[in-house]
Amino acid sequence: MKKSATWILCFIILTAGGLSLFSQQEIVLTIREGVPAISLALPPFVTDASSAEAREAAETIHRVLADDLNYSRVFSLVPREHLNYIRPLNPKEIFFKDWESIQARILVVGEVSQSQNRVIFEVKIYDVKSEKMILGKRYQADPGVFRLVAHRVADELMKLYGEKPYFTTKIVFVSNRDGNDELYMMDYDGANQTRLTFNKWRDYMPAWSPDQRAIVFTSYRAGNPDLYILYPYEGKLVPVSTKGTNFSGAFSPDGKKLAFCSTRDGNSEIYVAGADGSNARRITFNSAIDTAPSWSPTGREIAFTSDRTGTPQIYIMDAEGGNVRKVSFGGNYLDAPAWSPDGERIAFVSRVDNFFDIYILNLKTNKITKLTETRARNESPSWSPDGRHIIFSSNMSGSIQVYSVDYDASNLRCLTSQGENKLANWTN
Amino acid sequence: MKKFLVLFLTVILVLSFAASCKKKAKEVPPPPPPQAQEQPKVEKVEEPAIKEPVLTEEEIFLKKTLEEINQEKPLAMIHFDYDRYNIRPDAVPVLEANASWLKKYPTVKILVEGHCDERGTEEYNLALGEKRAKSTMDYLVSLGISADRIRIISYGKSQPLDPGHDETAWAKNRRAQFLIIGK
Repeated sequence: MKKSATWILCFIILTAGGLSLFSQQEIVLTIREGVPAISLALPPFVTDASSAEAREAAETIHRVLADDLNYSRVFSLVPREHLNYIRPLNPKEIFFKDWESIQARILVVGEVSQSQNRVIFEVKIYDVKSEKMILGKRYQADPGVFRLVAHRVADELMKLYGEKPYFTTKIVFVSNRDGNDELYMMDYDGANQTRLTFNKWRDYMPAWSPDQRAIVFTSYRAGNPDLYILYPYEGKLVPVSTKGTNFSGAFSPDGKKLAFCSTRDGNSEIYVAGADGSNARRITFNSAIDTAPSWSPTGREIAFTSDRTGTPQIYIMDAEGGNVRKVSFGGNYLDAPAWSPDGERIAFVSRVDNFFDIYILNLKTNKITKLTETRARNESPSWSPDGRHIIFSSNMSGSIQVYSVDYDASNLRCLTSQGENKLANWTN
Repeated sequence: MKKFLVLFLTVILVLSFAASCKKKAKEVPPPPPPQAQEQPKVEKVEEPAIKEPVLTEEEIFLKKTLEEINQEKPLAMIHFDYDRYNIRPDAVPVLEANASWLKKYPTVKILVEGHCDERGTEEYNLALGEKRAKSTMDYLVSLGISADRIRIISYGKSQPLDPGHDETAWAKNRRAQFLIIGK
């Protein structure tokens, strides 16, 4: 408890310091790469065995929560066999020294009960050393949302340790599983794949607003590649740019602006408008192709692709269009920049010998690392909200599917399988 | 098979029996010849045919639907080099032929579609496809075709002609093609 309290205090001081130093509000995310993960014990949840539904809830929530925490790179689960060395868990009387002896820093205790057809899940999170409960929550849930309950708990744990929670966020992507390219969304782990658009025209290149209430995308539904904003929870669709080819929409991190590409003035240029597409202002003026805008986390700069020197390269400019400088080097086909949430890195795609791979440029050290190595087409990188994971589309298994990989190229996993799936977006 | 054989044999047996019966029937005297009847004259029923005047080439063209015209592919597509959108020398005669066809049918409106091969990112290819459509349109305009008869659209790499993954397929897929959308 002492340690975490100190840490939280440090965080507050840092944040306050940050606020006083910069006039504009700035989000400071600390990525503790290489720092050992927090050891967490997650014994099986205790349940009233007489109810099948309660048992299912206990099993599902436990499994999904374990998957979340394993994925996080923030927490590491105490191996299950280590629980055999200590006394079985009794939620009424916890022997914390037992849990300390198997190296657990945190203990998560879950209990599922059922009363009048309502499944109640109660979770208590303990700091083992101080023997204190640091968080307690009760959730009522139907079987359809057991996974969501687990994600909620995982988010609470992330918040407790100063990390950006994202287990309840969604990934939007394009799939042709129902005949033509349509928008879909899914959980971060590929569960709950849900169709969002229903027509026979191509809908693609979707991107979330930061609050995940709006999706900007390109659709050919009116016979021309136009830019629309879909509000999936309101059932509202609004056209925002309809002259020329309109694509590559990206909401700013504060959700107040929308960057996109349009050929409305005769050539592919980048524009910045209000979040509803109003008052679009052109910010690039160049006869070359300017495309793929990606905001810096502060919203003050935009990374983009331009072939102004003959081949597509990555550039950075101020959000008003000034101070353009090239940041990529060592390749002759680089595109699809995605600025990391910590602001220090830009993921991009580079083509070498007909293979497309995802690379990460560290803006501080100016070093480039290769994230994928599959002799395939790996495209459209998008960061997780905490910057520890990247999703992308790849044909490494034959058909194009959406994959997730960690910042250090480990933990590659495929999230989709039906039809072809691509252009996944998690954050801008 | 067996069933057919049995059936076949039975039919032969019955036929031969009938034939042998016929022979016996010869003894019966022949029936009286049928009475001659007067047949009515056959009338040919006909609608008077409309003789179509000889249509001009333009009239034949106007009679066709847009789908029929597009199926005939009167406008040939052109191809591009990798990551380029300039009109290649081999595309010039194709565009000249297309321009003279468009001059022959001056009411026709067309859509120029720009396409790319798969060796590019989605974003960049959408912009590149548009550039290809635009340079094709500009060339047609330079040959005297009015710009308001031409619309352009980019499909990026989303509609390959050849689904292959080699240079032959890529070369085919880097193209501008024409769709007649009005006449």
